[in-house]
Amino acid sequence: MTPARITPGARARRALLVDAIAAAALAALALSLAAGLGVVAFFALPILLLGLAWIGAERLVRRLRG
Amino acid sequence: MVLLAATICLVPAAISWIHALSQPRNIGWNIATVEWVRQHGGNPLVSQVENWYYELNAPSKGGPPLKSLPQVGVADASSHEDKELKHPIYRPPPIKPLIHPALPGEGVWHASSATAGARPPVLLTTFRSDPEYPQFVAGVAWLDSGRTHLVYVPGLAEPPELEDRGPAEVPPAKRDELVATFNGGFPLETSNAGLIYRGQVLAPMVNGIATLVEYRNGRVDIRPWESGEKASPKVVFAKQNLPPIIDEGKLNPNLSDGPEWGATVNNAVRVWRSGLGIDSHGNLIYAAANDQTVESLAKILQRAGAVRAMELDINEDWTSFISYRHPGAVEPSNLLPEMFRPATRYLEPDERDFFAVYVKGRK
Repeated sequence: MTPARITPGARARRALLVDAIAAAALAALALSLAAGLGVVAFFALPILLLGLAWIGAERLVRRLRG
Repeated sequence: MVLLAATICLVPAAISWIHALSQPRNIGWNIATVEWVRQHGGNPLVSQVENWYYELNAPSKGGPPLKSLPQVGVADASSHEDKELKHPIYRPPPIKPLIHPALPGEGVWHASSATAGARPPVLLTTFRSDPEYPQFVAGVAWLDSGRTHLVYVPGLAEPPELEDRGPAEVPPAKRDELVATFNGGFPLETSNAGLIYRGQVLAPMVNGIATLVEYRNGRVDIRPWESGEKASPKVVFAKQNLPPIIDEGKLNPNLSDGPEWGATVNNAVRVWRSGLGIDSHGNLIYAAANDQTVESLAKILQRAGAVRAMELDINEDWTSFISYRHPGAVEPSNLLPEMFRPATRYLEPDERDFFAVYVKGRK
């Protein structure tokens, strides 16, 4: 049963759960379709590093803007 | 979500990678990582990246001429043989220089060992292999089939799935007889080829592929395989690698790129390459040089006297020819000084398979 009004924290947790399920499905798809773990790592590592760099840059810009 | 998916994907990859790097090996973590990617479905990706890298770093034609060649071996091979031997023996003629004036010692054979006697089992030389690239130097070794015995040695990881792999190095008990070692061919995964070891088929043989074969009577040959997938009882080992690059004294007319040349860098990419040929007297000839295409490697072997030849391993990480100046594997020396791997490479367990050359009659 879904309550009529949910707290912002609950909404965030729900969004995180949806994200986690989608990410797990995406990962499972990538792992099953790729020719091997080497191929998966070849693409996943740069994606992870770029994503982390993007998040870091975003936080830095936000902090500089005050 | 994408970041989380990437992280999830990297967990099993990291476990596999850490396990691979924790295995005993004599290569750096970076080369081991590239090998791990290759072995886990990433060979086409790695080859493509290598192609881009080598094409971007291709050498330029011309440049200042060399003033000297690297010194190989210990003595002029023709200095005392005629005086000491009662019967004349076959020695290969000097390799005719391609660039004139020739440099001192260019194409002249030298004994690899200080204690080789009147009939050195291994002769070494260097020469400039391409007039358009006057700084390229090829190293060539000639192995006297009457005085040497060739042995195939499995490495730590190549060939894969071998139960009794052995020490993956030259056994200490055999080092008194050791005169040379050199790299094998491509890994089975990329060579499109077969392997027979101790008479057992480890990978089905492929007709038409260049094959280094040793028969039970001790004879060694290089020729296109024509005996089907199975092992003949006469065969001790047979190592295949790609189509022949020289057959019946002529260069293979299809030395340009194609799928028959294995899942690796393109044939026209200039990179460290090595090859093995056989002369008309049945003696083996090894050649290696940096910045070679398959065609230029074939021309080096042809100029050195090979009538049939095959390409062996490529890239600086895998190309090695090492001679030993004294019994006991003392004073190992790379054929060319710029060879990347240390001269002690095969005196410790090595990743890939290789060949050991023992002198006959020394115990």
